[in-house]
This record gives sequence, structure tokens and C-alpha cells, in this order.
Amino acid sequence: MSVRAPRRLTRAPWLAGALAAAVLVGLVVPLHRPQAVAAKFDLIEERVWLLPPAGALRVVSLGFHAMAADAIWLLTIQYIGGHLIGDRQFPHLRRLVDTVVDLDPHFLEAYTLGALFLNYSGARVQTALDLLQRGYRANPNRWELPHDIARTYYLELKDYPKALEWFKITDRIPGRPHYIPRFIARLYAATGHRETALELWQAMRDSATSDWVRDIANREIAKLERQSATPFTPGASDTSIRKRP
Amino acid sequence: MTIVAIAWNTFREAVRDRILYSILAFALLLIGASVILAGLSIGQESRIVKDLGLASTTLFGTFIAIFLGITLVSKEIERRTIYLIVPKPISRPGFLVGKYCGLALTLVVTVGVMGVMVFLLAALVDGGATPALLIAVGVDFVALLIVTAVALLFSTFSTPTLSAIFTVAIFVIGRLSGDLTLFADQFADAALKRGIWVMYLALPDLGRFQFGSRVVQGLPLAPADIGMAAAYGLAYTGFLLLLAIAVFQRRDFK
Repeated sequence: MSVRAPRRLTRAPWLAGALAAAVLVGLVVPLHRPQAVAAKFDLIEERVWLLPPAGALRVVSLGFHAMAADAIWLLTIQYIGGHLIGDRQFPHLRRLVDTVVDLDPHFLEAYTLGALFLNYSGARVQTALDLLQRGYRANPNRWELPHDIARTYYLELKDYPKALEWFKITDRIPGRPHYIPRFIARLYAATGHRETALELWQAMRDSATSDWVRDIANREIAKLERQSATPFTPGASDTSIRKRP
Repeated sequence: MTIVAIAWNTFREAVRDRILYSILAFALLLIGASVILAGLSIGQESRIVKDLGLASTTLFGTFIAIFLGITLVSKEIERRTIYLIVPKPISRPGFLVGKYCGLALTLVVTVGVMGVMVFLLAALVDGGATPALLIAVGVDFVALLIVTAVALLFSTFSTPTLSAIFTVAIFVIGRLSGDLTLFADQFADAALKRGIWVMYLALPDLGRFQFGSRVVQGLPLAPADIGMAAAYGLAYTGFLLLLAIAVFQRRDFK
């Protein structure tokens, strides 16, 4: 005589599966969601706080440095995004970007985007310049870094001799934008500063890969256009440019 | 001819192993997920896809090499099939080399599938896939040959669990052994410095096969560097296989 399993037991796997789904949807998710939503920003801040030094990350990443740099870069993006909609202050941005470029010194966008936010949202021009110069030392064949250094000297510090020096370095690197020789000529002639500034911002807006960068560029373009009614006052350093051969 | 038959048989056995498909499925899932992550990266989509894809290929290729490699010989002992093979006119070195080649063939297929997927995703994301990406996968495959040989070596005298632990340890040491030279420079003691250098030269340097970062950055690959890395990898694999043969020769299966 064969013994048949009760029908209830045969259906047990489906029943258990259905119960598991019910527990997940009815209990686990409702208990977890409010905490997760409330703590989203804090979680990013906590991760930034607890970020180990780059030396330690190099060891634990077992040589997968580029992937570790990508992970910290994604955290940096979340950190910038969180603060952009909040206090617009980025006290840990330099540390985050330093960690990324310690892990991967060729991570170009970490230098350029990091410097942009340090500059335009954090008002830390010198820190931004230091970061870009570090990038240039690690990547002497990339025009983007001396270009951004020149732009910072030109637009933020109005130090035209320095801007000229860095635009000339940019000019020597293959792949540089077509407008560099024109800027160098204008700097020698000490004219057309507003046009140059406008062109620099338009170039940044057109090549931007994110709305964040585009917003900064649009803001600065609007500022320059508002000023177009008033005559441009060249900086004191213009005289020294004129004296150059 | 015997080696080819053993290799083919090992390959057929490996592709029937469910663990291979589980690892491959996870790898392809992770490589595919890199596209989602890339969307968060602000202009770095291609970089994230390539970095994560290449790292997944290395990592999951290593898992496959370890999980299949550690059972290459021990499974034959456990099933007692080794007692049927040894009395036959098959040399022990031939048996081991055949087993190794079979697993290497399995790795060619699995790493090839992962590499092609990374290449296609990179092409899909921004059209930035270059043949250099496949070269990076190819050079990394040589590192997997070393890991497979390490697993095979431990498999000849140890249990699968211990073999897995030892092979993972060698993999970790191999990935970090490049740092040993940096440590050596920190010491003033010449003997200690020399000792660390000897250790570095004797241990496998798996970091030598990492050309992925250069490819992702669009930096040129020096054919001499690739050639030297490949030659080093093959020489080290040969050394490990000879060591495994020496151990296997001494085992008593009568």
C-alpha cells in the first residue's frame, strides 16, 4: 500500500513562497522604507566621514584601484548632489577628490569637476587651482587641465599673465580647443576680455556632460550679458601683458 | 594525443558543472549592472562600464579558476577514478597537463564571453570600445592561467577546502606583491631589503597583468610590456605545473 503525501504538504512550497512574499511586502518593506528614506542623506555623509585613507583603500581593493576610484567617485557625485540641494557647502569635497585621484591619478574628470565645484560653489579658488595643478603634473599630455587652470586665472583671479602662461601650455598639447590661439592673441593685445570670458563659458556649457556644470555656465553667461551695458575695466595686470614680446 | 583527450574530457566535464554557470551568470549580471551605475557617474559612463567590466572579468575568472581548479585532481581521487587511470599507459605529467589544459580551455570560453560582453557594452554606451579592451582581457587571462596552476598545485596534495583557502591567499598576495618593493625601500637593513626582494621575485606578481586602467584612460599599450607580461606569466605557469607534476609523481595511488 502506497502512502500519499497529504495535499496540503504538496502545496507547501508555493504556500511558503507566497508567505515569504507577503512578509517581504507587508512587513520588511514598510519597516525598512521610512528609515531608509530619512537616512539617505545621512548615510552618504556617514560614508564620507568614515571613508578610509587612500593608502588603506589601495590595499583592500587588491589592485582594483580604478574600480575603487569609480566607487569613491560615485560617492562624491552623491555628496555634491546632496549639498547642491542643501547648504551648497562642500567641506569634504577636496578629501573625496584627493582619494579618487590617489587611487587613479589619471581620473581627469575628478580634477576638472572637483575643481569646478570647489571654485564656483565652495569659493575655494586656490584649492581648486592646487587640485588642477596636481592633475597636470600627473597628466602632462592632457590639455584639459592647463586649460582649466588658465580659465581659473582668467575668470576668477583676473591674473592675465598667469592665464596667458597656462593658455600657452595648453596650446602646445595636441587636441586642444580651436579657440586657444585666439585667446592668446587677445591676451597679448589686452583686449576682448568679455568676449573671451563669454566664449570660455559657452565652450564649457556646450561640452558639459551634466546639468550641474551647464547651470554654472548659464549663470555666469547671464551675469556677463547683464554686465554688457557697462564698459569693461581691464585689470592692472593687463599692462604687464602688453609689455610681453 | 592522450593529453588532448584528457583536456577535452576535462573541458566537457567543466561545462557540465553548475558552479560554472552560477559564477558566469553573476559575472554577466554585474557587468550588465555597470550600465545602471554608469548612469550616476556624470559623464563617466564609458569609464565605469569598462572598469567594472574588466574587474568583474578578472574577479569571476579567478573564482572559476579556483572553484574548478581545486577539484581537478581531488575529484578523481574522491571518485576513485584515479585508480583506474594510473595503471593505464598514461603518464602522470600527461594526465596533469591534460587536466590543466582542459580547465584553461574552459577559462578561454568563459573569459571570452565576459570580455565580449564588456566590449559590446562599452561600444553601446559611447562607442568607445577599442581592440585594446580585448587585449587587456587577453593579458589578464594569462594571470588566470597562473591562478589555475596554483589551484592545480594545491589540488595535487590537499583537500578542496584547504586548496581553495591557499589559492585565494596566493591570489591576494599576488595582487599586492607589487607593494612589497615599496616596503623594501622603507627599510635601511640591506639583508631585510634583499629578503623582501627575493620574496617579491619568487611570488607571482598578478599586478603585472593589469593593463585595463591604461585602456580605460585611452593611454597607449606598449607591445614590449604586453609581451614581457605574457612571457612572465607563461614562465611562471610552467614553473607551477612542474612543481605540481613533482608532487603528483610522489603520490602513491596503488
